[in-house]
Amino acid sequence: MTEQLALYLFVVLALAGGVMAAGMRHILNAIIGLAISLLGVAGLFLHLGSPFVAGMQILIYIGGIVVAIVFAMMLSLAMTMRPPPANRLKVWFAGLCATLFLVSVSLVLSTAQFHVVETPPAAPSWAIEHIGHALLTHYNLVFEALSVVLLLAIIGAILIARQEKPTT
Amino acid sequence: MTLQTYLLLGLILFSLGLYCVLSRRNLIGVLIGVELMMNAASLNFMAFNRYSVNDPATGQVVVLIIIGLAAAEVAIFLSIILNLYRNRRAIDVEELRELRG
Repeated sequence: MTEQLALYLFVVLALAGGVMAAGMRHILNAIIGLAISLLGVAGLFLHLGSPFVAGMQILIYIGGIVVAIVFAMMLSLAMTMRPPPANRLKVWFAGLCATLFLVSVSLVLSTAQFHVVETPPAAPSWAIEHIGHALLTHYNLVFEALSVVLLLAIIGAILIARQEKPTT
Repeated sequence: MTLQTYLLLGLILFSLGLYCVLSRRNLIGVLIGVELMMNAASLNFMAFNRYSVNDPATGQVVVLIIIGLAAAEVAIFLSIILNLYRNRRAIDVEELRELRG
């Protein structure tokens, strides 16, 4: 019973945060909506049997990425800038595209058949040790590639955002 | 909840992100939309991981990779935004159109 209630709470959080992130005019409200939505999805991860990924989601997404976006907003003064008036045509077209996508994919989804196997979440293959083992054996190449990508992203971000010294 | 419900939820989140990307004028707003879409994709991966995969480490590894790529993407995106703001005083996507063919 409590589990069901928590599940519905997480679903509502994810959807409400998503609506808030997409709909709010002011950029700070949109960022808060994004954080709420990420929190709800982390709760759904918990319900799907993976507390580790849920923790990583909260730690990296909410604690790192959302905070970085807030910093960029403060540095680029988007907070004090008045939001520009919305382009009517653009908003209508965006709504049309998103609705079209939603309807067409849900039509596909309603007829699709999926192969469903029930893996009980308590099985030992759900343990964190198993993820670590898979990450360092079977998915080793992806792991290394991701670390190289992160390093390059850090170097690239520093290079792009660096203040150019005036050459006299 | 069944697999279909999770997929529908991910689809709705993805559509919201698509709307956000297409309708925003602020670059940071576009970034928020991209994050919503990535999040919906990782929700789909976790749902399939729970309901139709034999080895449950697969989907979790994929989601961890998505989170790492999102962090790299945000770092690059934010430095581009800072540079644009420093040189132009504007982060409105409709004013940045020198690259149009």
